[in-house]
Amino acid sequence: MKKWSSLLVGWIFFCLLTGCATHRAKRDLIVLLPDPDGKGGAVTVTTGEGSQILDKPGYATEVEDVNKPPLTPRPVSENEIKDVFGPALSAQPDPADRFISFLLYFEHDTAELTQESKNLLPEVLKTIKNRKSNEVYLVGHTDLVGTETYNIELSSRRARHVRDLLVSSGIKSSSLFVSYYGKARPLVPTNDEVPEPRNRRVEVIVR
Amino acid sequence: MKRTYSKIVVLSLVAFSLLLCTGRDVSSADASVPVAIVKKISGSATVVRQGQPIPATNGLEIWENDSLRTGRNGSIGIVFNDDTFLSLGPGSILVIDEFVFAPKQGKFSIVIRMLKGTAAYLSGLISRLSPDSAHFNTPTASIGIRGTKFVVKVEGG
Repeated sequence: MKKWSSLLVGWIFFCLLTGCATHRAKRDLIVLLPDPDGKGGAVTVTTGEGSQILDKPGYATEVEDVNKPPLTPRPVSENEIKDVFGPALSAQPDPADRFISFLLYFEHDTAELTQESKNLLPEVLKTIKNRKSNEVYLVGHTDLVGTETYNIELSSRRARHVRDLLVSSGIKSSSLFVSYYGKARPLVPTNDEVPEPRNRRVEVIVR
Repeated sequence: MKRTYSKIVVLSLVAFSLLLCTGRDVSSADASVPVAIVKKISGSATVVRQGQPIPATNGLEIWENDSLRTGRNGSIGIVFNDDTFLSLGPGSILVIDEFVFAPKQGKFSIVIRMLKGTAAYLSGLISRLSPDSAHFNTPTASIGIRGTKFVVKVEGG
């Protein structure tokens, strides 16, 4: 009899210490939010045992332990986001001074802007001039049609073409920073050799 | 004779130590260069720099290796030199392990380590120009960031 009661006391004590009676695993929570620039971002959450990609805004993954893989992404309600992250989100700085970015598109296999993008140029110029910006990044890309080497050169030509257009409209060339990535960074993921007009672009980032 | 000799020794020691000072290699990640500025504050928030607590105020400069802490009712929002926005809710601790933004040399890196609490992160130019260079680490996971906005809650230890 005595042995059982001391075992029981021991068990209760153990439960109190570890909280195993009503213990709910505490988890770290990562939620992807809508990207204000609308460029479709993503985060990859990696533990010692696996990874999850969050690429849909409003979806979250949870991590219980570094030795467990992150949980499958699930949708999160606006209320849950507000409850948990309200104060952190309210403390986000004002986006008014943040950079503005534009996408300029090109005809297939050329450094020729599409007509729509040509029509966007005045707005790009106005933004640069209004902000008196001396830091404008021009990042050239291609779709996945063609070899890497060919597309590195094509994306470079595209970025440089935009640079030349801006310079000839009065922008100081020392404020323009050109970089290019060939087919390595499609905005819209496709299989290799798949044409995709939305990937044939130069991103113009104005500070 | 003896006096001139000791003068020479002293002068050489001074010259030598000056050389040591000016010859110091200042890396591009010089920890005493500001990497961000405080833009929003509410309640109690502190910046801890080399073990010294500094009460956070609007406009305070943040350096690499600084840690940010908020009290039970505190929150803080900062902007990095590349326009990354980072903010913390109450009861949070976070460290800026690394920040390099040198577009002319093609050097980009942002590494944040969060110990507990809640945070919101909006990517800046480093993620745009070099997507593999932005990392947000928690005690349980490493978050790779490809140009976007997300929030994190860390239960902490």
